[in-house]
Amino acid sequence: MNDNARIGVFLCRCGGKIDSLVDLQALYEDVRTQDQVAHCEVLAYPCLGPGLDHIRQAVVDAGLNRLIIAGCEGRLMLKKFENYLAPWNFFKGQVDMINLRGHVAVVSDLSPADKARKASKLIRASIAEMRVLTPTSQTVKPFDGPVVIAGGGIAAFAAAQQLARKGIDYLIDVTATDLDALIRKVHESYPGEWDYDDRMKKMVYEAMTSDQATVLPPGQLTGLAGVTGDYTLTFEGPEDGLPRSYRSSAVIACIDAQLQAPGPDFGHDGRSVMIQSEMEALIFRRGAPTGKVVFWISDNESGQSDFAPLSAKSAWRMACHLRESAPAADLSILYNRDMEIPLTAAERAVNRRMNIMWVPYDPAVRPTVQSGFVTFCDLKDHVEHEMAWDHLVLSPIRAVSGPPLETASVLGLVHKGGRFLTGHHAKVRPEMIGREETYMAGSGRYPCSLEDALNQGRRAGSRTADMVEKAAAGEIQIPRIVCVVDPDLCVGCGQCQELCDCGGIGVAEGPGGGLPRVVDPMVCTGGGTCAAACPYHALVLQNNTNDQREARVAALASQLAPDEVMAFGCVWGGLPAADNAGKMGLKYDPRLHILGVPCVGQIDPSVMARALKEGASGLILIGCLPEECHHSYGLDHAWSRVNVVKKLLTLAGIDRRRIALAHADLNRPDEFIVTVESFVRNINSLGPLERTPAARGRLQTVYDLIKTNTRVRALLSASLRRPWEDAYRGDQRHALEYDRDFSAVLEEEFMNQQLLQLLRNENRPLKLRELASELRKSESRVAEGLLELVSGGMVNLSHKEREAIYRAVN
Amino acid sequence: MIQFTINDQQVEAQHGWTILEAAREHGIDIPTLCYHEAVAPSGACRLCMVELKDGNWSKLVASCIYPVAEGIHVYTETERVHNVRRWIFEMLLATCPASPEISALAERYGVTSTRFSAADPDRTCMVCGLCSRVCEEVVGLSAIATVDRGVYKRVGAPFSRPTDVCVACGCCLSVCPTGAMQSLFDTVRGIPATIMTQLTA
Repeated sequence: MNDNARIGVFLCRCGGKIDSLVDLQALYEDVRTQDQVAHCEVLAYPCLGPGLDHIRQAVVDAGLNRLIIAGCEGRLMLKKFENYLAPWNFFKGQVDMINLRGHVAVVSDLSPADKARKASKLIRASIAEMRVLTPTSQTVKPFDGPVVIAGGGIAAFAAAQQLARKGIDYLIDVTATDLDALIRKVHESYPGEWDYDDRMKKMVYEAMTSDQATVLPPGQLTGLAGVTGDYTLTFEGPEDGLPRSYRSSAVIACIDAQLQAPGPDFGHDGRSVMIQSEMEALIFRRGAPTGKVVFWISDNESGQSDFAPLSAKSAWRMACHLRESAPAADLSILYNRDMEIPLTAAERAVNRRMNIMWVPYDPAVRPTVQSGFVTFCDLKDHVEHEMAWDHLVLSPIRAVSGPPLETASVLGLVHKGGRFLTGHHAKVRPEMIGREETYMAGSGRYPCSLEDALNQGRRAGSRTADMVEKAAAGEIQIPRIVCVVDPDLCVGCGQCQELCDCGGIGVAEGPGGGLPRVVDPMVCTGGGTCAAACPYHALVLQNNTNDQREARVAALASQLAPDEVMAFGCVWGGLPAADNAGKMGLKYDPRLHILGVPCVGQIDPSVMARALKEGASGLILIGCLPEECHHSYGLDHAWSRVNVVKKLLTLAGIDRRRIALAHADLNRPDEFIVTVESFVRNINSLGPLERTPAARGRLQTVYDLIKTNTRVRALLSASLRRPWEDAYRGDQRHALEYDRDFSAVLEEEFMNQQLLQLLRNENRPLKLRELASELRKSESRVAEGLLELVSGGMVNLSHKEREAIYRAVN
Repeated sequence: MIQFTINDQQVEAQHGWTILEAAREHGIDIPTLCYHEAVAPSGACRLCMVELKDGNWSKLVASCIYPVAEGIHVYTETERVHNVRRWIFEMLLATCPASPEISALAERYGVTSTRFSAADPDRTCMVCGLCSRVCEEVVGLSAIATVDRGVYKRVGAPFSRPTDVCVACGCCLSVCPTGAMQSLFDTVRGIPATIMTQLTA
């Protein structure tokens, strides 16, 4: 509870769209009298100029520091209020919106008075949350030290050039320092790009010799510690093998894919049948070969058909280069008919002048390499032709491997399996520093031409430069809703780091386990499934904490009638589906009370238990469609959590169908309604949830268990889907066996929790016999549980008249 | 405080408000389509036209972008305004004949048919650009924008292909006044796999 909270509530008429359907006067009278509501007002349009001026006046006059606006979609309007009120120290989290129009007014046929009562429940829940909110202060993020350009990719020079021009110091990690060797390296990674040589030389020279540059001695990146703005990078050199550490403010990763030879079925021998990069090396070594050179664009056959146009372009550029140095050479490009020739009109004109043959072949017949010939089937005449060659040039296999892959994994850029570094899952906050977008360049992200790689490098360089400049001006502030670790509570189990897909969680210092974690606030997406997974509640989503959500849920659930149900809708699926249902004027069961949540993965299982404990007869979590979760598999994590709560409900003798997970697409509000109607029907067919003291006690046990039992919480976290796992259910070796084991643990812990609760409630020493008969369990099982509670320090064991007596530790 | 009249009713407004904002504050109805509270007004649809009168002289202005001024006389339901509104509705009915939202709104203002021929009977989008403004101003992404010019203008992602820039937040969908975004949405974010299987089944 925060005594400083002064809450202002504004009810929107929305030009008759709300006040004709909801009794706003009654709602006003109800809300006005709530604790800590310092101001309440009904406005025609709070979102328009006149309304905003009213709100500002009220904020100043009544000294408000929390706002609740009951009107329409917070997804759309919240930003306007936050921006408008920022000069009066209102930040994200301090303004809340309730979609009075879309979730209450238009979606049912209730009377205006009943709608006012429903709205009141939602507003009171919001007020309860606002009372608990303790807003953090705004913190400026400093950037100390130079920028490190790691990875050894070619794009590094483009990035460095941008930094040099902006006067920002940087450390550059290169594979060689000799200019010619670097140019050869360009050709190895990006074959055929001869036109770039002069420009490349200039760029490399500028990047290596600028006043801002420090060229790192050759070495492999082995460690990254710290957070954005304050990194420590460790390199290990090949000569002395000693680690060298550098402080840095930002890291740009420039990583190129390696070109490798295809398998022996392509006849690769490295001398006459070679891949494009080997041809480049040959040209460097011995000059352009004369005679018959055939480029076979073999990507379709080697399983990388996406890159056929790229290989074809490289082959064509190389062929043009060969033509210039050997006018008499016989140059052909053999390509799969499935690929379109990737040449522009101007390039086709050049191609005619250069006399380079493009020969298509039938995809159905795989060309075969023979000594001096390659056979292929012509699509036109269906005849098997032979093409003679002196040098046969194949397309390379592209993949990130070796030292660059190691560098990428140290930098936290390897998210998924696969050959490349694309596929960053989290995609939520436009202004966030997305690692992939901002800090990565080169064909390691995804195969591309040299031009594209350099452009990526330039973009990474200039964006980083902007960031450093912004930071120097003190304009970069830590986002409001990100995770923070309480180092006193963190035991360093590392569950959160494993679950985090945004790469925002690292160890405070050094490698290994057992060390407290830290969160990089500039990288954290605020998904919060990691916080909900923390067995010790050490990880907290600031300004959107679990305590806040519990307060809200408790306030709403305690007001619900026995036939009413509660729902959570994530802002990417369930909530917009509900908003859009409202917008389209669709009607659904008014007994559903929906709360918005940034991701269903944020919902701690204790919140789910709390809802049922405080009075909700049913709880449904409506998230995104399967595999469409915007956060780190929050949806799948919610599935696992719901599953645990279901098991606990069964143990408590409550129907497990009272909690459910559902999926909604925001563009299918009609299907959202089907989901809602079906759930409400199911819950009502179960009848009201039993609320006898005994039943309440059992629900209390469920809640206490899932909130405080670190064994169950750790086991649950360990079962959650990891970002690298492909399966929805996680990589359980045997699903059923695992589930049985988990159930057994839950059963055991549930009994222990019941024992503990019994001892606490009685507040007097009890004997084993008494406890066993109270729980209707065998004495031996109860004794086992007691032993664990005693060794866990939660129960005191003493003896009286030669019999053991147990008492709860306060 | 700025003093002026709307429909001969004396109203007060602050400097910086638009006529539309002042009118709504006083409960005066002006129809709008491309206007949304979440973004800056653009005056694209011209449906919010009102008449400013000063003696024998009068002019029509888009109320969503016209700032209030001392002593102006605003009329929202004159013959001229009705005429313009009818024309706009007729043109809208021809531009996006398939939009039930537009037809319903037009009918509410007494327009049920159009004398213009509809180029595309299935079209629902009126190209007001509200979706792209929301994407830019509220979401901060600009995943969609208006493409091409003049009569070829339409809304879409670059190259009319699903784009990675789109985070599928659905803000465009929630503001679209004609319901066109419902069908356009999947061309921007890409069709989710689950729905794809439903479609192909």
